[in-house]
Amino acid sequence: MPPAVVIAGVSKSFGATVALEDLSFDVPHKSFVSIVGPSGCGKSTLLRMVAGLIVPSRGAITVRGETVRAPIRGVGMVFQSPALLPWRSTLGNILFVAEMGGLKSAHHRGRAEELMALAGLAGFEQSYPHELSGGMQQRTSICRAMLLKPPLILMDEPFGALDVITRERMGFALQTLWSESRSTVLFVTHSISEAVLLSDIVVVMTPRPGRIRDVVAIELPRPRESAILRDARFLALSARVRDGIEAQPWAD
Amino acid sequence: MGGLSQLRRRIVHAVVGMGKPAAGFLALLLLWQWGAPLAGIPRYVLPLPTAIAARFAETFAVQLAGLAATGLTTILGLTLALVAGVLMALVVIYVPLLRTLIMPLLAAFNSIPKIAVAPLFVIWFGLGIESKILLAFLLALFPVFVNALTGLGEIEPDLLDLSILAGGTPWRIFMKLRLMNAVPYITDALKVAFPLALVGSIVGEFIGGNEGIGHLILAGQFDLDTPLVFAALASITAFTTLGIGAIAVFERAVLRWRPSQRGR
Repeated sequence: MPPAVVIAGVSKSFGATVALEDLSFDVPHKSFVSIVGPSGCGKSTLLRMVAGLIVPSRGAITVRGETVRAPIRGVGMVFQSPALLPWRSTLGNILFVAEMGGLKSAHHRGRAEELMALAGLAGFEQSYPHELSGGMQQRTSICRAMLLKPPLILMDEPFGALDVITRERMGFALQTLWSESRSTVLFVTHSISEAVLLSDIVVVMTPRPGRIRDVVAIELPRPRESAILRDARFLALSARVRDGIEAQPWAD
Repeated sequence: MGGLSQLRRRIVHAVVGMGKPAAGFLALLLLWQWGAPLAGIPRYVLPLPTAIAARFAETFAVQLAGLAATGLTTILGLTLALVAGVLMALVVIYVPLLRTLIMPLLAAFNSIPKIAVAPLFVIWFGLGIESKILLAFLLALFPVFVNALTGLGEIEPDLLDLSILAGGTPWRIFMKLRLMNAVPYITDALKVAFPLALVGSIVGEFIGGNEGIGHLILAGQFDLDTPLVFAALASITAFTTLGIGAIAVFERAVLRWRPSQRGR
Protein backbone atom coordinates (compact mmCIF):
# COMPACT_ATOMS: atom_id res chain seq x y z
CA MET A 1 0.00 0.00 0.00
CA PRO A 2 1.49 3.42 -0.91
CA PRO A 3 1.71 6.01 1.88
CA ALA A 4 -1.54 7.84 2.64
CA VAL A 5 0.22 11.20 2.79
CA VAL A 6 3.55 12.20 1.25
CA ILE A 7 5.05 15.50 2.31
CA ALA A 8 7.88 16.40 -0.06
CA GLY A 9 10.12 19.43 0.49
CA VAL A 10 7.29 21.57 1.86
CA SER A 11 7.98 25.15 3.03
CA LYS A 12 5.50 27.80 4.05
CA SER A 13 6.10 31.50 4.63
CA PHE A 14 3.64 34.15 5.77
CA GLY A 15 5.13 37.41 4.50
CA ALA A 16 8.67 37.55 5.88
CA THR A 17 7.99 34.86 8.51
CA VAL A 18 9.09 31.36 7.58
CA ALA A 19 6.71 29.03 9.38
CA LEU A 20 7.89 25.70 7.98
CA GLU A 21 11.11 24.88 6.14
CA ASP A 22 11.82 21.95 3.86
CA LEU A 23 9.64 19.33 5.52
CA SER A 24 9.62 15.80 4.13
CA PHE A 25 8.03 12.70 5.60
CA ASP A 26 5.53 9.97 4.77
CA VAL A 27 2.43 8.94 6.64
CA PRO A 28 1.93 5.20 6.00
CA HIS A 29 -1.51 3.92 5.08
CA LYS A 30 -3.75 3.27 8.15
CA SER A 31 -1.07 4.46 10.55
CA PHE A 32 -1.30 6.93 13.42
CA VAL A 33 1.37 9.60 13.08
CA SER A 34 1.92 12.37 15.64
CA ILE A 35 3.73 15.63 15.12
CA VAL A 36 5.25 16.93 18.35
CA GLY A 37 6.92 20.25 18.83
CA PRO A 38 6.85 23.47 20.80
CA SER A 39 4.12 26.07 20.25
CA GLY A 40 4.66 28.17 17.16
CA CYS A 41 6.52 25.54 15.13
CA GLY A 42 3.90 25.53 12.38
CA LYS A 43 2.22 22.22 13.26
CA SER A 44 -1.27 23.58 12.64
CA THR A 45 -0.13 25.19 9.39
CA LEU A 46 1.10 21.80 8.23
CA LEU A 47 -2.27 20.16 8.98
CA ARG A 48 -4.13 22.89 7.13
CA MET A 49 -1.85 22.38 4.13
CA VAL A 50 -2.49 18.61 4.16
CA ALA A 51 -6.25 19.34 4.18
CA GLY A 52 -5.78 21.71 1.23
CA LEU A 53 -7.12 24.70 3.18
CA ILE A 54 -3.87 26.59 2.49
CA VAL A 55 -1.20 25.97 -0.15
CA PRO A 56 2.53 25.44 0.51
CA SER A 57 4.95 28.14 -0.63
CA ARG A 58 7.26 25.42 -1.97
CA GLY A 59 7.14 21.65 -2.28
CA ALA A 60 4.12 19.39 -2.67
CA ILE A 61 1.79 17.31 -0.57
CA THR A 62 0.23 14.16 -1.95
CA VAL A 63 -2.79 12.53 -0.32
CA ARG A 64 -3.68 9.03 -1.54
CA GLY A 65 -1.68 9.50 -4.71
CA GLU A 66 -3.06 12.91 -5.65
CA THR A 67 -1.33 16.26 -5.27
CA VAL A 68 -3.31 18.53 -2.93
CA ARG A 69 -4.40 21.75 -4.66
CA ALA A 70 -7.78 22.52 -3.07
CA PRO A 71 -9.64 21.51 0.12
CA ILE A 72 -9.95 17.70 0.09
CA ARG A 73 -13.57 16.76 0.43
CA GLY A 74 -14.19 14.07 3.02
CA VAL A 75 -11.12 14.56 5.18
CA GLY A 76 -12.05 14.29 8.86
CA MET A 77 -10.94 17.21 11.01
CA VAL A 78 -10.75 17.72 14.79
CA PHE A 79 -9.71 21.11 16.14
CA GLN A 80 -8.41 22.25 19.51
CA SER A 81 -11.83 23.75 20.21
CA PRO A 82 -14.72 21.30 19.85
CA ALA A 83 -16.29 23.60 17.18
CA LEU A 84 -19.80 22.30 17.87
CA LEU A 85 -22.98 24.06 16.75
CA PRO A 86 -24.71 25.30 19.92
CA TRP A 87 -28.16 24.97 18.35
CA ARG A 88 -27.76 21.28 17.51
CA SER A 89 -27.98 18.30 19.86
CA THR A 90 -24.94 16.06 20.30
CA LEU A 91 -26.33 13.62 17.75
CA GLY A 92 -27.23 16.48 15.38
CA ASN A 93 -23.67 17.79 15.63
CA ILE A 94 -22.20 14.41 14.71
CA LEU A 95 -24.59 14.14 11.74
CA PHE A 96 -23.71 17.69 10.62
CA VAL A 97 -20.86 16.50 8.37
CA ALA A 98 -23.24 14.13 6.56
CA GLU A 99 -25.77 16.92 5.96
CA MET A 100 -23.07 19.33 4.84
CA GLY A 101 -21.94 16.73 2.33
CA GLY A 102 -25.49 16.52 0.99
CA LEU A 103 -26.11 13.05 2.46
CA LYS A 104 -29.27 11.89 4.22
CA SER A 105 -28.54 12.12 7.93
CA ALA A 106 -31.07 9.34 8.64
CA HIS A 107 -28.77 6.86 6.85
CA HIS A 108 -25.91 7.66 9.22
CA ARG A 109 -27.82 7.78 12.46
CA GLY A 110 -27.03 4.18 13.39
CA ARG A 111 -23.31 4.70 12.85
CA ALA A 112 -23.43 7.93 14.88
CA GLU A 113 -25.10 6.11 17.78
CA GLU A 114 -22.47 3.34 17.66
CA LEU A 115 -19.67 5.88 17.78
CA MET A 116 -21.32 7.70 20.66
CA ALA A 117 -21.57 4.44 22.60
CA LEU A 118 -17.87 3.72 21.96
CA ALA A 119 -16.99 7.24 23.09
CA GLY A 120 -19.02 6.91 26.29
CA LEU A 121 -21.65 9.37 25.12
CA ALA A 122 -24.65 7.02 25.11
CA GLY A 123 -27.65 8.73 26.69
CA PHE A 124 -26.50 12.21 25.68
CA GLU A 125 -27.83 12.06 22.09
CA GLN A 126 -30.33 14.87 22.66
CA SER A 127 -28.18 17.04 24.95
CA TYR A 128 -26.98 20.41 23.70
CA PRO A 129 -23.22 21.12 23.68
CA HIS A 130 -23.43 23.55 26.61
CA GLU A 131 -24.84 20.72 28.72
CA LEU A 132 -21.72 18.58 28.14
CA SER A 133 -18.31 18.72 29.86
CA GLY A 134 -15.26 19.83 27.85
CA GLY A 135 -14.11 16.23 27.45
CA MET A 136 -17.54 15.11 26.23
CA GLN A 137 -17.67 17.99 23.76
CA GLN A 138 -14.32 16.97 22.34
CA ARG A 139 -15.37 13.31 22.12
CA THR A 140 -18.44 14.49 20.20
CA SER A 141 -16.15 16.33 17.83
CA ILE A 142 -14.03 13.18 17.33
CA CYS A 143 -17.17 11.11 16.64
CA ARG A 144 -18.17 13.72 14.07
CA ALA A 145 -14.80 13.39 12.34
CA MET A 146 -15.16 9.60 12.24
CA LEU A 147 -18.81 9.43 11.16
CA LEU A 148 -18.25 8.92 7.45
CA LYS A 149 -15.21 6.61 7.96
CA PRO A 150 -12.85 9.05 6.24
CA PRO A 151 -9.62 7.55 4.91
CA LEU A 152 -7.70 10.43 6.53
CA ILE A 153 -8.36 12.27 9.80
CA LEU A 154 -6.41 15.35 10.84
CA MET A 155 -6.35 16.29 14.53
CA ASP A 156 -4.99 19.64 15.65
CA GLU A 157 -4.18 19.45 19.38
CA PRO A 158 -7.63 18.04 20.12
CA PHE A 159 -6.97 17.66 23.85
CA GLY A 160 -5.01 20.90 24.26
CA ALA A 161 -7.78 22.64 26.19
CA LEU A 162 -8.47 19.78 28.61
CA ASP A 163 -7.10 19.12 32.10
CA VAL A 164 -4.38 16.47 32.52
CA ILE A 165 -6.61 13.75 33.98
CA THR A 166 -9.32 14.14 31.34
CA ARG A 167 -6.63 14.34 28.71
CA GLU A 168 -5.15 10.97 29.59
CA ARG A 169 -8.57 9.30 29.54
CA MET A 170 -9.32 10.97 26.19
CA GLY A 171 -6.17 9.39 24.78
CA PHE A 172 -7.48 5.91 25.59
CA ALA A 173 -10.95 6.81 24.25
CA LEU A 174 -9.37 7.97 21.00
CA GLN A 175 -7.38 4.74 20.74
CA THR A 176 -10.63 2.74 21.06
CA LEU A 177 -12.37 4.83 18.40
CA TRP A 178 -9.40 4.68 16.08
CA SER A 179 -8.94 0.91 16.35
CA GLU A 180 -12.57 0.57 15.24
CA SER A 181 -12.27 2.87 12.21
CA ARG A 182 -8.61 2.42 11.26
CA SER A 183 -8.43 5.66 9.34
CA THR A 184 -5.01 7.13 8.73
CA VAL A 185 -4.52 9.80 11.42
CA LEU A 186 -2.19 12.77 11.45
CA PHE A 187 -2.21 14.08 15.01
CA VAL A 188 -0.67 17.31 16.26
CA THR A 189 0.15 17.60 19.97
CA HIS A 190 2.69 19.01 22.35
CA SER A 191 2.22 16.23 24.87
CA ILE A 192 5.06 13.72 24.59
CA SER A 193 3.33 10.90 26.46
CA GLU A 194 0.15 11.39 24.41
CA ALA A 195 2.15 11.14 21.17
CA VAL A 196 4.03 8.00 22.26
CA LEU A 197 0.90 6.34 23.64
CA LEU A 198 -1.19 6.81 20.50
CA SER A 199 1.25 6.71 17.59
CA ASP A 200 3.00 4.37 15.24
CA ILE A 201 5.40 7.18 14.31
CA VAL A 202 6.27 10.40 16.15
CA VAL A 203 7.71 13.28 14.14
CA VAL A 204 9.61 15.75 16.37
CA MET A 205 9.81 19.32 15.09
CA THR A 206 12.01 22.32 15.86
CA PRO A 207 10.67 25.79 16.70
CA ARG A 208 10.16 28.43 14.03
CA PRO A 209 11.00 27.86 11.28
CA GLY A 210 9.63 24.36 11.80
CA ARG A 211 11.95 21.61 10.60
CA ILE A 212 12.06 17.90 11.34
CA ARG A 213 14.43 17.07 14.19
CA ASP A 214 13.71 13.38 14.65
CA VAL A 215 11.37 10.63 13.49
CA VAL A 216 10.71 7.98 16.14
CA ALA A 217 8.99 4.68 15.31
CA ILE A 218 6.84 3.50 18.23
CA GLU A 219 6.79 -0.27 18.03
CA LEU A 220 4.75 -1.01 21.14
CA PRO A 221 2.04 -3.69 20.98
CA ARG A 222 -1.59 -2.60 20.65
CA PRO A 223 -4.03 -2.14 22.26
CA ARG A 224 -2.01 -0.08 24.71
CA GLU A 225 -3.43 0.11 28.20
CA SER A 226 -2.64 2.38 31.10
CA ALA A 227 0.02 -0.05 32.42
CA ILE A 228 2.13 0.80 29.38
CA LEU A 229 2.65 4.33 30.73
CA ARG A 230 5.06 2.72 33.26
CA ASP A 231 6.64 0.26 30.81
CA ALA A 232 10.40 0.66 30.30
CA ARG A 233 10.09 0.70 26.49
CA PHE A 234 7.45 3.43 26.69
CA LEU A 235 9.65 5.50 28.98
CA ALA A 236 12.69 5.03 26.74
CA LEU A 237 10.75 6.18 23.66
CA SER A 238 9.33 9.16 25.58
CA ALA A 239 12.84 10.08 26.65
CA ARG A 240 14.06 10.01 23.07
CA VAL A 241 11.22 12.31 21.95
CA ARG A 242 11.91 14.55 24.94
CA ASP A 243 15.61 14.77 24.01
CA GLY A 244 14.60 15.97 20.55
CA ILE A 245 12.45 18.71 22.05
CA GLU A 246 14.72 19.77 24.91
CA ALA A 247 17.71 20.25 22.64
CA GLN A 248 15.85 23.23 21.18
CA PRO A 249 15.92 26.93 21.99
CA TRP A 250 12.70 28.87 22.71
CA ALA A 251 10.58 29.66 19.69
CA ASP A 252 10.17 33.28 20.71
CA MET B 1 -48.38 13.11 41.97
CA GLY B 2 -44.93 14.66 41.81
CA GLY B 3 -45.74 16.18 38.41
CA LEU B 4 -48.96 17.70 39.68
CA SER B 5 -47.42 19.28 42.75
CA GLN B 6 -44.59 20.54 40.59
CA LEU B 7 -47.11 22.13 38.24
CA ARG B 8 -48.90 23.74 41.19
CA ARG B 9 -45.60 25.04 42.51
CA ARG B 10 -44.82 26.48 39.09
CA ILE B 11 -48.20 28.25 38.88
CA VAL B 12 -47.80 29.63 42.39
CA HIS B 13 -44.28 30.71 41.47
CA ALA B 14 -45.51 32.49 38.32
CA VAL B 15 -48.34 34.25 40.15
CA VAL B 16 -46.04 35.32 42.97
CA GLY B 17 -43.50 36.38 40.32
CA MET B 18 -46.06 38.64 38.64
CA GLY B 19 -47.52 39.64 41.99
CA LYS B 20 -44.58 41.74 43.12
CA PRO B 21 -44.36 44.09 40.12
CA ALA B 22 -48.17 44.30 40.00
CA ALA B 23 -48.31 45.25 43.69
CA GLY B 24 -45.62 47.88 43.12
CA PHE B 25 -47.56 49.31 40.17
CA LEU B 26 -50.78 49.40 42.20
CA ALA B 27 -49.00 51.17 45.07
CA LEU B 28 -47.68 53.77 42.62
CA LEU B 29 -51.19 54.36 41.23
CA LEU B 30 -52.60 54.79 44.76
CA LEU B 31 -49.83 57.20 45.66
CA TRP B 32 -50.57 59.14 42.48
CA GLN B 33 -54.35 59.15 43.08
CA TRP B 34 -54.11 60.39 46.68
CA GLY B 35 -50.75 62.17 46.62
CA ALA B 36 -51.17 64.42 43.57
CA PRO B 37 -54.08 66.47 45.01
CA LEU B 38 -52.33 66.72 48.40
CA ALA B 39 -49.20 68.03 46.66
CA GLY B 40 -51.37 70.57 44.87
CA ILE B 41 -50.49 69.45 41.32
CA PRO B 42 -53.10 70.86 38.92
CA ARG B 43 -55.27 68.29 37.12
CA TYR B 44 -54.28 69.56 33.67
CA VAL B 45 -50.63 68.86 34.51
CA LEU B 46 -51.09 65.44 36.06
CA PRO B 47 -54.61 64.06 35.75
CA LEU B 48 -55.69 61.43 38.29
CA PRO B 49 -55.49 57.76 37.31
CA THR B 50 -59.29 57.48 37.66
CA ALA B 51 -59.77 60.39 35.24
CA ILE B 52 -57.35 58.79 32.76
CA ALA B 53 -59.19 55.47 33.03
CA ALA B 54 -62.51 57.21 32.45
CA ARG B 55 -61.18 59.10 29.42
CA PHE B 56 -59.73 55.84 28.10
CA ALA B 57 -63.10 54.14 28.39
CA GLU B 58 -64.88 57.06 26.66
CA THR B 59 -62.44 57.15 23.78
CA PHE B 60 -61.96 53.39 23.52
CA ALA B 61 -63.08 53.20 19.86
CA VAL B 62 -60.81 56.11 18.89
CA GLN B 63 -57.92 54.53 20.78
CA LEU B 64 -58.39 51.25 18.92
CA ALA B 65 -58.57 53.02 15.54
CA GLY B 66 -55.44 54.99 16.45
CA LEU B 67 -53.59 51.84 17.49
CA ALA B 68 -54.63 50.12 14.27
CA ALA B 69 -53.17 52.95 12.18
CA THR B 70 -49.95 53.28 14.23
CA GLY B 71 -49.60 49.52 14.54
CA LEU B 72 -49.92 49.04 10.79
CA THR B 73 -47.20 51.54 9.87
CA THR B 74 -44.97 50.23 12.68
CA ILE B 75 -45.27 46.59 11.66
CA LEU B 76 -44.90 47.36 7.94
CA GLY B 77 -41.83 49.51 8.65
CA LEU B 78 -40.35 46.83 10.89
CA THR B 79 -41.00 44.07 8.34
CA LEU B 80 -39.37 46.09 5.58
CA ALA B 81 -36.41 46.81 7.87
CA LEU B 82 -36.07 43.08 8.63
CA VAL B 83 -36.06 42.11 4.95
CA ALA B 84 -33.83 44.99 3.82
CA GLY B 85 -31.44 44.70 6.79
CA VAL B 86 -30.84 40.98 6.22
CA LEU B 87 -30.48 41.45 2.43
CA MET B 88 -28.00 44.30 2.92
CA ALA B 89 -25.99 42.18 5.36
CA LEU B 90 -25.92 39.34 2.80
CA VAL B 91 -24.70 41.67 0.06
CA VAL B 92 -21.96 43.01 2.30
CA ILE B 93 -20.86 39.47 3.29
CA TYR B 94 -20.97 37.84 -0.14
CA VAL B 95 -19.77 40.73 -2.35
CA PRO B 96 -16.50 42.02 -0.84
CA LEU B 97 -16.28 44.73 -3.53
CA LEU B 98 -19.59 46.22 -2.43
CA ARG B 99 -18.54 45.98 1.20
CA THR B 100 -15.89 48.66 0.77
CA LEU B 101 -18.41 50.75 -1.16
CA ILE B 102 -21.47 50.33 1.07
CA MET B 103 -20.02 50.39 4.57
CA PRO B 104 -18.74 54.02 4.60
CA LEU B 105 -21.96 55.19 2.91
CA LEU B 106 -24.06 53.45 5.54
CA ALA B 107 -21.94 54.85 8.35
CA ALA B 108 -22.40 58.37 6.96
CA PHE B 109 -26.12 57.80 6.47
CA ASN B 110 -26.51 56.50 9.99
CA SER B 111 -25.05 59.69 11.41
CA ILE B 112 -27.99 61.69 10.00
CA PRO B 113 -30.67 61.97 12.69
CA LYS B 114 -33.54 60.32 10.80
CA ILE B 115 -36.21 62.19 12.71
CA ALA B 116 -34.75 65.49 11.54
CA VAL B 117 -35.41 64.56 7.92
CA ALA B 118 -39.02 63.56 8.61
CA PRO B 119 -40.45 66.85 7.27
CA LEU B 120 -38.65 66.12 4.01
CA PHE B 121 -40.48 62.80 3.73
CA VAL B 122 -43.78 64.65 4.07
CA ILE B 123 -42.78 66.85 1.13
CA TRP B 124 -41.73 63.83 -0.91
CA PHE B 125 -44.37 61.31 0.01
CA GLY B 126 -47.25 63.37 1.36
CA LEU B 127 -49.26 63.10 4.54
CA GLY B 128 -50.39 59.52 3.93
CA ILE B 129 -49.16 56.24 5.32
CA GLU B 130 -45.99 56.19 3.13
CA SER B 131 -43.98 58.81 4.99
CA LYS B 132 -44.76 57.10 8.32
CA ILE B 133 -43.73 53.66 7.07
CA LEU B 134 -40.53 55.14 5.66
CA LEU B 135 -39.64 56.76 8.97
CA ALA B 136 -40.39 53.56 10.93
CA PHE B 137 -38.34 51.59 8.40
CA LEU B 138 -35.32 53.88 8.57
CA LEU B 139 -35.22 53.91 12.37
CA ALA B 140 -35.52 50.12 12.57
CA LEU B 141 -33.11 49.36 9.74
CA PHE B 142 -29.77 49.88 11.45
CA PRO B 143 -30.11 47.61 14.45
CA VAL B 144 -31.37 44.85 12.15
CA PHE B 145 -28.57 45.37 9.62
CA VAL B 146 -25.78 45.51 12.20
CA ASN B 147 -26.97 42.41 14.06
CA ALA B 148 -27.63 40.48 10.85
CA LEU B 149 -24.11 41.35 9.70
CA THR B 150 -22.63 39.95 12.91
CA GLY B 151 -24.86 36.88 13.01
CA LEU B 152 -24.46 35.93 9.36
CA GLY B 153 -20.85 36.99 9.04
CA GLU B 154 -19.02 36.06 12.19
CA ILE B 155 -18.79 32.29 11.98
CA GLU B 156 -16.07 30.43 13.86
CA PRO B 157 -13.35 29.82 11.22
CA ASP B 158 -13.01 26.18 12.33
CA LEU B 159 -16.69 25.62 11.52
CA LEU B 160 -16.27 27.07 8.04
CA ASP B 161 -13.20 24.85 7.41
CA LEU B 162 -15.09 21.84 8.71
CA SER B 163 -18.07 22.57 6.44
CA ILE B 164 -15.85 23.00 3.38
CA LEU B 165 -14.01 19.72 4.06
CA ALA B 166 -17.38 17.98 4.54
CA GLY B 167 -18.30 19.09 1.03
CA GLY B 168 -20.58 21.99 1.98
CA THR B 169 -21.85 24.06 -0.94
CA PRO B 170 -22.26 27.83 -0.42
CA TRP B 171 -26.03 27.26 -0.21
CA ARG B 172 -25.77 24.56 2.47
CA ILE B 173 -23.24 26.66 4.41
CA PHE B 174 -25.71 29.54 4.28
CA MET B 175 -28.73 27.50 5.35
CA LYS B 176 -27.15 25.26 8.00
CA LEU B 177 -24.49 27.58 9.38
CA ARG B 178 -24.90 31.30 8.69
CA LEU B 179 -28.66 31.55 8.95
CA MET B 180 -28.87 29.41 12.10
CA ASN B 181 -26.05 31.41 13.67
CA ALA B 182 -27.89 34.65 12.90
CA VAL B 183 -31.25 33.75 14.47
CA PRO B 184 -30.47 34.90 18.05
CA TYR B 185 -28.82 38.09 16.74
CA ILE B 186 -31.89 38.92 14.67
CA THR B 187 -34.41 38.26 17.45
CA ASP B 188 -32.29 40.50 19.70
CA ALA B 189 -32.31 43.17 16.99
CA LEU B 190 -36.09 42.97 16.70
CA LYS B 191 -36.49 43.73 20.39
CA VAL B 192 -34.58 46.98 19.86
CA ALA B 193 -35.98 47.76 16.40
CA PHE B 194 -39.64 47.37 17.31
CA PRO B 195 -39.82 50.32 19.74
CA LEU B 196 -37.70 52.35 17.30
CA ALA B 197 -40.14 51.67 14.46
CA LEU B 198 -42.91 52.80 16.79
CA VAL B 199 -41.05 56.07 17.42
CA GLY B 200 -40.82 56.52 13.65
CA SER B 201 -44.56 56.01 13.18
CA ILE B 202 -45.53 58.38 16.00
CA VAL B 203 -43.14 61.13 14.91
CA GLY B 204 -44.58 60.73 11.40
CA GLU B 205 -48.05 61.21 12.84
CA PHE B 206 -46.92 64.29 14.79
CA ILE B 207 -45.72 65.89 11.59
CA GLY B 208 -48.83 65.37 9.55
CA GLY B 209 -51.92 63.34 8.86
CA ASN B 210 -55.03 62.75 10.89
CA GLU B 211 -54.65 59.17 12.02
CA GLY B 212 -52.89 57.16 14.68
CA ILE B 213 -51.91 57.46 18.31
CA GLY B 214 -49.49 60.31 17.51
CA HIS B 215 -52.39 62.30 16.07
CA LEU B 216 -54.51 61.48 19.14
CA ILE B 217 -51.74 62.76 21.47
CA LEU B 218 -51.48 65.99 19.45
CA ALA B 219 -55.26 66.46 19.53
CA GLY B 220 -55.24 65.99 23.33
CA GLN B 221 -52.43 68.53 23.68
CA PHE B 222 -54.30 71.03 21.45
CA ASP B 223 -57.40 70.86 23.67
CA LEU B 224 -55.37 70.71 26.90
CA ASP B 225 -57.08 67.34 27.33
CA THR B 226 -54.26 65.84 29.42
CA PRO B 227 -56.26 62.72 30.40
CA LEU B 228 -56.60 61.92 26.68
CA VAL B 229 -52.83 62.28 26.20
CA PHE B 230 -52.22 59.90 29.10
CA ALA B 231 -54.87 57.47 27.84
CA ALA B 232 -53.16 57.42 24.41
CA LEU B 233 -49.81 56.80 26.13
CA ALA B 234 -51.36 53.88 28.01
CA SER B 235 -52.64 52.41 24.71
CA ILE B 236 -49.28 52.64 23.03
CA THR B 237 -47.50 51.18 26.07
CA ALA B 238 -49.85 48.21 26.02
CA PHE B 239 -49.15 47.78 22.30
CA THR B 240 -45.36 47.86 22.82
CA THR B 241 -45.58 45.37 25.68
CA LEU B 242 -47.62 43.00 23.53
CA GLY B 243 -45.18 43.35 20.62
CA ILE B 244 -42.09 42.71 22.75
CA GLY B 245 -43.92 39.81 24.40
CA ALA B 246 -44.66 38.28 21.00
CA ILE B 247 -40.98 38.55 20.02
CA ALA B 248 -39.98 36.94 23.33
CA VAL B 249 -42.42 34.05 22.81
CA PHE B 250 -41.06 33.52 19.30
CA GLU B 251 -37.52 33.64 20.65
CA ARG B 252 -38.23 31.08 23.34
CA ALA B 253 -39.74 28.73 20.76
CA VAL B 254 -36.84 29.03 18.30
CA LEU B 255 -33.93 29.27 20.71
CA ARG B 256 -34.61 26.40 23.07
CA TRP B 257 -30.92 25.46 22.83
CA ARG B 258 -29.74 28.76 24.28
CA PRO B 259 -28.32 28.37 27.81
CA SER B 260 -30.10 31.55 28.91
CA GLN B 261 -33.45 30.10 27.81
CA ARG B 262 -33.25 27.23 30.27
CA GLY B 263 -35.40 27.11 33.37
CA ARG B 264 -37.74 29.83 32.21
